[in-house]
Amino acid sequence: MTTAAPIHITPDSSIIVKAEKVNKYFGKLHVLNDIDLEVRKNEVVVILGPSGSGKSTFLRCINHLEKINSGHIYVNGHMIGYLDRNGKLIEDNEGNISRQRAEIGMVFQRFNLFPHLTALENIIEAPIHVRHVPAVQAREDAERLLTRVGLADKRNQYPNQLSGGQQQRVAIARALAMKPSLMLFDEPTSALDPEMIGEVLDVMQELAHEMTMIVVSHEMGFARAAANRVVFVDYGQIVEQGTPEEFFSHPKEERSRLFLSQILH
Amino acid sequence: MYHFDWQLFWNYIWPPTALQDPLIRNGLIATVLVSIIAQALGVVFGLFAALGKMSKFPGFRWLAEGYIWYFRGTPLLVQMALLFFGLGVTHVYDFPDIKYGFLTITGAIQAGTLALAINEGAYMAEIIRAGIESIDPGQLEAAKSLGMKYSLAMRRIILPQAAKVIIPPLGNEFNNMMKTTSLMEIISAGELFFAFNQINARVFKPFELFIAASLYYLLLTTIWSIVQARIENSLGDRKGQERNAGMFQRFFAGVTKGGH
Repeated sequence: MTTAAPIHITPDSSIIVKAEKVNKYFGKLHVLNDIDLEVRKNEVVVILGPSGSGKSTFLRCINHLEKINSGHIYVNGHMIGYLDRNGKLIEDNEGNISRQRAEIGMVFQRFNLFPHLTALENIIEAPIHVRHVPAVQAREDAERLLTRVGLADKRNQYPNQLSGGQQQRVAIARALAMKPSLMLFDEPTSALDPEMIGEVLDVMQELAHEMTMIVVSHEMGFARAAANRVVFVDYGQIVEQGTPEEFFSHPKEERSRLFLSQILH
Repeated sequence: MYHFDWQLFWNYIWPPTALQDPLIRNGLIATVLVSIIAQALGVVFGLFAALGKMSKFPGFRWLAEGYIWYFRGTPLLVQMALLFFGLGVTHVYDFPDIKYGFLTITGAIQAGTLALAINEGAYMAEIIRAGIESIDPGQLEAAKSLGMKYSLAMRRIILPQAAKVIIPPLGNEFNNMMKTTSLMEIISAGELFFAFNQINARVFKPFELFIAASLYYLLLTTIWSIVQARIENSLGDRKGQERNAGMFQRFFAGVTKGGH
């Protein structure tokens, strides 16, 4: 660590993610338009929206895989990706960004398992090389996580020997091995064959009892069963948010109704 | 009608007799060692140049681009002469002989090896860059999301995967390298071709001697083709993936690939 990052403590320590007036442009396209969002500890938030609405981009800003043009994102009370110098955003150094990312698990649409490593090696890689956990302990933790996602017998398989659903479950275990305080899911079931979606959602639902989660997904069943809150995003703006019950049964906004009618048919 | 000197020819292609001549013995050792060292250094230079070329800092990019531009755009023979004779007259570095016990590394060998390595680095840079860029960007994102820094992600995640893409062309580069060491003849570096030239100066049998010289190179590249096929197959096996092209395909692919 070269320079100590200024620590921004958000008022309520139980807030895990706080986004304030986040704006992002891809060239002229305004992908995120003044996004404000707070996610509390153990809350499960599902973000819905048409493709191209900016929902995945927003999720990727939370662990700074995408840059933002203005606004602030705090994770665990610390601003991520930037230092605020008199209102100007200056990109933080790699060490600080990496340290914060280690606390944020991410699950990708296309799994992104490391193909040259077995399931078990995928899981122990970051604990050993980032957290410097002793190998024996990392292995024990990984075995436990593999058992938890129902893949204890697949520990020595390479990703290309696993089905999509199995790969995604290993990817979830890999993220959990870092003992993150927040899990981000970027369309975790969109690349799966229909018969494999259930096994991944089961793992996620199980996890929802004990984790803070932000999930970009159109899986209504999951949202109804596990989400505390549904956030509907369109054209880079939060259009409406509420409990799954409210949102799915009584959407207030016209755009929400239109969207729901499209995904329900 | 040319009288082919069979006795001289057999004498120089049959290793037990040929290797009794210290010129040939040392030349063969020099060719093999210089090839290995120059190739290894070339991979290191190439890795830095590849990373430089992909760097977000313009200074590194320009440096890497300039290096690749110059050393791929000028003849190796000229580079070698420039390094050895050119640098020699400036006395920036005189390439003095280095002695380690019984082993003497002559200045010409040092300069030749370095020129080969620098030149090779420019070619390896493109091979390594292509290898790194063939890896799905999602791999780097996944590594970053687990808290890995760029350098750790490169070392543990990207390069081990890129290696599989890099190793087949690297093997072909090494095949070329063993043949290209013969250019060191002009700086009298004492490798295999120089040795045969020296003998030719004594006995003037260029037809017999240069056929013999060519067969030594053929032996080296053939042995390497076999080793290369094994390396590539074991690479495929270990990762639970399908085997690469068979040894014979590899062998002919290896020896028919042209030099630079």
